[in-house]
Amino acid sequence: MAAVKINELHKSDLPWILEYDESKCIQCGKCTAVCSFNAIKPAVEIRKKSNSITEKNKTERVLVIKQNISLDNYCRGCGMCANVCPNGAIRLIRNKDDKYSVAYRANKADSFKKGGRSNLNTEGRTLDKIKIGRISQMTDPSLDAQRHTFELRTPFGRVLKADKLNFDVKDGKIVETTQLPPNRWIYPIIFGDMSIGAVSWRMWEAMAIATAYLNEVMGIPIRMCTGEGGIPTKLLKSRYVKYMILQIASGHFGWNRIIKAMPDMTEDPAGILIKIGQGAKPGDGGLLLASKVARYVQEIRGVPRADLLSPPTHQGLYSIEESVQKMFLSMNAAFKFKVPVAIKVAASVTSVPVYNNLLRDPYNIVGGFFLDGLAAGTGAAHEISLNHTGHPITSKLRDCYLTAVKQGRQGEIPLFAGGGLGQTGSFAADAFKLICLGANGVFTGRMLLEIAGCVGSDTGKCNACNTGLCPAGIAAQNDNLVKRLDVDKVAQNLVNYILATDIELKKLMAPIGCSSLPIGRSDALITVDKHISTRLDIQYAC
Amino acid sequence: MCRIGAIKSKQKLHPSIALKLMRSQQEGHDDSGFAFVMQDMGGIFENYKELPLMSMAGTVEGARLAEDILRDIGFTRVMQWSPDINNKKGLKIEALPIYMFEALQYPKSYKHATKEEKEELLIDTSIRLRKALEGTNSGYIYSFWPDTLTLKEIGSPKDIGIYFNLWEENKDLTSSIITAQCRQNTNYDIVRYAAHPFFLEGYTGLVNGENTFYEKNKSYQERLYKGYLGFESDSQCLLYTLHYVHKILKWPLQYFKHTITPLSYDEIIKREDSDILLRIKASLEHLEVNGPNTFLGVTPDKELICVCDSKKLRPVVIGKHNDTVIMTSEVAGINDLMPDRNTEEDIYPNERETVVIKDDLTVERWQQ
Amino acid sequence: MTICKIKTLKNNNRMSTQELLQTIYKKIDEGQSEFEIEACGQHDIGGAVKAKSDDKTLLFKITNPGQRVGAMAMDGVKIVVEGSAPADVGWLNSGAEIVVKGDAGDTAAHCAAGGKVFIGGRVGTRSGALMKHDPRFEPPQFWVLKNTGSFSFEFMGGGIAVICGYDCDNLTSVLGNRSCVGMVGGVVYVRGNVEGLANCVEKLPLDKLDKDFLKSGMPEFLQEIEKTELEEELLDFSKWSKILPLPKELKEKKQPVKDFIKNEWFKEGLFGDLVEDDGKVYGLAETGDARLRKPEWDKDLCVACDLCLKNCPQNAIKKDLTKYISESEKCIGCGICAAVCPRQAWKMKNC
Repeated sequence: MAAVKINELHKSDLPWILEYDESKCIQCGKCTAVCSFNAIKPAVEIRKKSNSITEKNKTERVLVIKQNISLDNYCRGCGMCANVCPNGAIRLIRNKDDKYSVAYRANKADSFKKGGRSNLNTEGRTLDKIKIGRISQMTDPSLDAQRHTFELRTPFGRVLKADKLNFDVKDGKIVETTQLPPNRWIYPIIFGDMSIGAVSWRMWEAMAIATAYLNEVMGIPIRMCTGEGGIPTKLLKSRYVKYMILQIASGHFGWNRIIKAMPDMTEDPAGILIKIGQGAKPGDGGLLLASKVARYVQEIRGVPRADLLSPPTHQGLYSIEESVQKMFLSMNAAFKFKVPVAIKVAASVTSVPVYNNLLRDPYNIVGGFFLDGLAAGTGAAHEISLNHTGHPITSKLRDCYLTAVKQGRQGEIPLFAGGGLGQTGSFAADAFKLICLGANGVFTGRMLLEIAGCVGSDTGKCNACNTGLCPAGIAAQNDNLVKRLDVDKVAQNLVNYILATDIELKKLMAPIGCSSLPIGRSDALITVDKHISTRLDIQYAC
Repeated sequence: MCRIGAIKSKQKLHPSIALKLMRSQQEGHDDSGFAFVMQDMGGIFENYKELPLMSMAGTVEGARLAEDILRDIGFTRVMQWSPDINNKKGLKIEALPIYMFEALQYPKSYKHATKEEKEELLIDTSIRLRKALEGTNSGYIYSFWPDTLTLKEIGSPKDIGIYFNLWEENKDLTSSIITAQCRQNTNYDIVRYAAHPFFLEGYTGLVNGENTFYEKNKSYQERLYKGYLGFESDSQCLLYTLHYVHKILKWPLQYFKHTITPLSYDEIIKREDSDILLRIKASLEHLEVNGPNTFLGVTPDKELICVCDSKKLRPVVIGKHNDTVIMTSEVAGINDLMPDRNTEEDIYPNERETVVIKDDLTVERWQQ
Repeated sequence: MTICKIKTLKNNNRMSTQELLQTIYKKIDEGQSEFEIEACGQHDIGGAVKAKSDDKTLLFKITNPGQRVGAMAMDGVKIVVEGSAPADVGWLNSGAEIVVKGDAGDTAAHCAAGGKVFIGGRVGTRSGALMKHDPRFEPPQFWVLKNTGSFSFEFMGGGIAVICGYDCDNLTSVLGNRSCVGMVGGVVYVRGNVEGLANCVEKLPLDKLDKDFLKSGMPEFLQEIEKTELEEELLDFSKWSKILPLPKELKEKKQPVKDFIKNEWFKEGLFGDLVEDDGKVYGLAETGDARLRKPEWDKDLCVACDLCLKNCPQNAIKKDLTKYISESEKCIGCGICAAVCPRQAWKMKNC
């Protein structure tokens, strides 16, 4: 047996410790068979047979389950082994004294990368300190979530001030005189932009199915943003493309096929989203590690199997004005000025100036402002970015809304907010509160992952989306892991979750007497935190 | 709840009719105030129709302050009227020392001014007066516009009527349009400015109800036009929206309803004018009104308008007899004043409807 | 006893509702059972009172009442309103016969659970909402000559409503819009166009019992509202229908997502031309090609100790003369064979 040396990696350095109860184990081998990270293994231990001094040297070889002590094949705490064990013989214990990230950097001379969410989210969330406090009871009766009709639609696309619509009146009726910027009425929840590649083909298809089903069967006009990782040509040429917001990010992956498909598209897409930044790692470009660049991903993106890095900015853009001209104008032109073109940026101290610049664009070609907050998730990021860069969504969304109010221009460029919504289990409430603070709608990726069976957490469980080895098949690019995901079931669950959310949104609209979205109805909100009250300009309550 | 009424006639009527209209609806309000606006004046104001008429109440200092400002701008007084006061003991009224109604001649420099220039002067003057009176807490300016007289007071409507001698008809104080409300704004502080009817540039509005989109409306309207101010009541928002849609945007009256209670998307897309209605819905999203409402209004064309919220959560009925039309919260009020009318012609507007009484008293009804 | 006449307006002094009602109570206590009231909008007239002696009907003849005429009115009471009445006529009526010869305002017969409400004109929004039927008593009846406003008969739980649609040919719906939302019981008979009904109810033709009911009730209704001349026109059943709550099993069911995928979605899947995917869903710990890892045997290292064979939990290893074979259809790739092998003749490879 080799000697143990202090400067090696030890089990006690790892983030998760395997707790193994030999008395319960029947050695069925399932735990090791299911581990996508190859982090545990069957092993043979040599033990002395008894404590008797007369039989002191007699040993026996015993089969046990052990964890690998390795920088590469280490336990992420996903818990699949424990799930599959028939006898509960395995448990994973979080290691408070984990030194893994030190060891990783010390050995690899590289920054540590991971997927999932920021793991430094320790203080209470602002949204949880806000309540809906203006309940209509007498003079303005509450509505009835069942009986009354509610409209959950919001404009997406540039909205012009009424006096800029250039309306004429003929025979007592208003008529249009000019082509106005495209504007669509969509559900206030958008399936957030997760690319093919970032998520598995099955996950992406399940989201697309849920989107189509919600629109066509349930009449809920939800939209899905494709992410930037190519789009199957089939989808582009189908009627379902009208529910899809196509994304263009700095890598421009997959746009060749989109352009080639344009002449054959029978429907316009729901919109275009120009991604400038991402809340989970602002100022950093997309990152798809080679392990996830499966053959089909290579094909639709037009790249070999390699780490795919999108630059942090769009090449060839010098300024916001430039971006308006190049990206917005070109994307508008690509679809004959009939499709709303929006932008997604990471929430930042500078979001307000950016929003102001877009509001003042004289050509009215900016159709939406998506603001992504710091608690957002990502398929892969440098941990340093994930944990230490970014800006919370709530106050920045509010700032943007109020800057528009100050100019009497609220609603002209619809605001959509995202980043960590539903983190504490109340997605509908988070969405509702952000809408009251001025958002036209919200977008979410994390909820979709959770609904699909993500086993990760915001406190360091799994977070291996970057590896392609997602044990739930969601962010996996290993065929056998991808096939763990049941497309029908995930699509159904996504649908169900949105139906539940729809009911819950109405249950919040009804008591404040709103039959349409309470965009900017901050008077409905109260907070028990004085600082939040001051910062967001909502009523303090105690 | 408020109880509201609007009366339009080919005859000139005395405000006692408004008191009588409201009398039977007394259980529906709380005896906290009475206010009315008269438009298209008769009686002693008949000959001053083109001239701005100031309706003001306040202290002696306030009256002096107002006079100073008017003189400073160049207005000259042409005629002044004050109501006879019956200050008998025990009346439930919080009266102010002075109630002043003055017809004024425009400044000389406006001799050749256009209608628009004159209107601009009137709104600027009225804002200046209001700010000055507010700053010194010395009075209220309710309207400053030709052919319009406003009186508002806190107290019991019956006693307010006695105090100003309004129960007795007389030929001096008459008009063809009278809008009135019995009640102060009891949701919040009792403030004279919060009492309906509200008036702005020839438009009058009064509301029985609540506007849960007040904050949204207000934050948008505050920057829409200088005359949109005060916001003491969530109902002012409806008047400002009527003014914005009809006067500033110059849209036909029927688009007012499309603005305050837009149809749902699903209904709009079935219509021929869906493009227009969706644009209006998006561009004027912040002027939507939610909550229970009946709105009664008067336009500068001397038309009455009536609309309800999209769930029809407040009552309203319209009755007509001979030369007079009455819109009011409850039919009891109309029954009192027009017992012999043909009730088969009573109109109960629905949640989609706009009812307009044209100047010649013909009725137009539009389904949204 | 003579009729008690009450005038509520003298000069400009109006009797308040409280004063009026207390006057009425006093008179009833004195044995008065017939009233003629010239009202001025007073509320609640005729409600929650009963004649002093049980064998007498308490009769109110009213002009110009305010809201809630006959609210909470009881058996043995008859209320007749000349002309129209505002909101809430017959609210919570538990047994009175209430006649309004003209129009009624919003929420007429709201929550009525007994007696009869007869309206000689139209009624407003939310009329008939929450009507109920206590099976120990006769069901409430609510007759309207013309039409109702929108949102009528919401959450109706029982009773009978008859909306005659007289003089309503110009209306697209004599029940307004979105009527019968949440209706679970009772029946609404309606004559004329109906649109925008809630999807929890169904509109059906009349059967014989329905017609018999209308035939027997119509003369009394028309007599009370003084429109007997309309009997023939209203009893022509060609324009009548009835509205009943849908049985639970018939309420709209949406197709599940898997049917949508089967019927509407891309036949070979969205990625059919990009990946090989037969759609099978793998469980955890699969065999064959679905394994994450598989063992490979090296004959040069093997000492034929059989430990692998003995320890394989799936019995997937078999010995063929001198060869060891892992049967892929049994093996889950657990790696036990590799672990127990003293010479590392089994090695695990990624699939």
